[in-house]
Amino acid sequence: MAIFIIARAAFGYMFLVLMVRVVGRRPGKQLTPFEFVLIFYLGGLTLTGMVGSEGSLTNAITQIITVALCHYVLSYLRFRFTTFAKILDGTPLVLMEKSTWRTETLKRVNIQDDDVMHVARQQGIKDLSGIKTAVLESFGEITIVPSRVDEEEKSDPPSSSQ
Amino acid sequence: MPDPETNPVVDSVPKVNEIAVGEDLAFQRKWWRFERIIWLLFVVILVCDLLGLFGRGWFSKAKCSTPDHALTVDYQRIERASTPSTLTLHFDPSSVQDRHIVVFVSNGLIKSLGARRISPQPAISALSEGGVTYTFDVRSAPTIVEIRLQPQMPGEYAFRIQTAGNAPIRRTVLVVP
Amino acid sequence: MGTILRAFGGYLILLIVVRVLKRRAGSQMTMFEFVFIFLMGGVIIPSTVGKDRSVTNCTCAVIAVGFMHRALSWAKSRSPKIGAVLDGVPLVIIKNGEWQKEVVHGMKLRREDVEAAARASGVKSIDDVDYAILERNGGISIFPKEK
Repeated sequence: MAIFIIARAAFGYMFLVLMVRVVGRRPGKQLTPFEFVLIFYLGGLTLTGMVGSEGSLTNAITQIITVALCHYVLSYLRFRFTTFAKILDGTPLVLMEKSTWRTETLKRVNIQDDDVMHVARQQGIKDLSGIKTAVLESFGEITIVPSRVDEEEKSDPPSSSQ
Repeated sequence: MPDPETNPVVDSVPKVNEIAVGEDLAFQRKWWRFERIIWLLFVVILVCDLLGLFGRGWFSKAKCSTPDHALTVDYQRIERASTPSTLTLHFDPSSVQDRHIVVFVSNGLIKSLGARRISPQPAISALSEGGVTYTFDVRSAPTIVEIRLQPQMPGEYAFRIQTAGNAPIRRTVLVVP
Repeated sequence: MGTILRAFGGYLILLIVVRVLKRRAGSQMTMFEFVFIFLMGGVIIPSTVGKDRSVTNCTCAVIAVGFMHRALSWAKSRSPKIGAVLDGVPLVIIKNGEWQKEVVHGMKLRREDVEAAARASGVKSIDDVDYAILERNGGISIFPKEK
């Protein structure tokens, strides 16, 4: 039954979107190897349920089109409505400002100060006092504004991380 | 060629420490509450699955028999689509007549619940109205017959199983996706 | 029912295997590593779901895996020790311009990897490196000597 196949594909896509959103990802510039494996694991499990025992080419094409359509609709909604974008991506979160940690945020997003320091080191900052503001971006990256920049060149906007 | 549509740049992103971050903590708190609810829901789903509320577990196992216990059926109250399972018919000596067991199985079981194989093979399978009548040769009883099921579509299906001269067993099975 | 337990098990097995395999220095993933990762993820899936390819079963497996990941990242944020076991710790490769032999041997680091990282952060010669740190995800952070 075609409708059951399409429903399964749509459900699989929506469910994965929700799952990836609530599982959250460890911040950092790149995914760790284990996170890659995890992604394939989650994707593959969903795929098994989506395809079921109907491995025909027609079935595959129908489901690919369904998933692509779902993705298109979601992208459109995200572009059109700010609230929807917030729901899908979350908002950037300040982890540290004026040399105080936002403890509530850190606890909720499961970030250690080690993770912040890791990103700081990649920008050549040696200790925590060199950080003015640390922000967890909505796409999972931590960006850091060093405190030095502000004092030396006040007129220039602080450079964001690459 | 017409000029491209333009808009002046307006700095609308909220600031933290003079840095445009666009943090929305109020929204995020709501999201965290939602996340907690979702995880709670996920745990509930896992527990339900472990208990067999979605089939293949303790809750979904069911047994029913005719009033005189000539025939007892072990089945799954909740089945899963495109997943194999087994339905077992237990025949008491009282269901054997003249060295034969004659059992009628309705189309609900054969078609909707997708009976794949019946073992042992019946000596005679005869088509009848609304189902199939199987006849087995029997040397001694009690004995069992297994029917392998694999439902294709989710839904709620009723089936009927009846041996000659006995009250029918009527049950409904819920097939989840 | 078995699926949930197998999903928990599958997650743990993958975690251990990936953790035990030495992280390659230099954060770039090669083609081979992608294939390898795809293979590992794919191999464990049929055994997790077994013959039950229904939506219910697969959804439960996905939830179980997600739950496991969430629980572990929660544990990591609570206890730095668990974090060290699961993710490793940052290691100093070069300290005050001196190579730390033990770390270099233990992590099977090649001089070329560190040199590549130095070049990437704009340091011309490895002699100009003050500190080099092997990060937990396999990347190398470089601090040049102050002029």
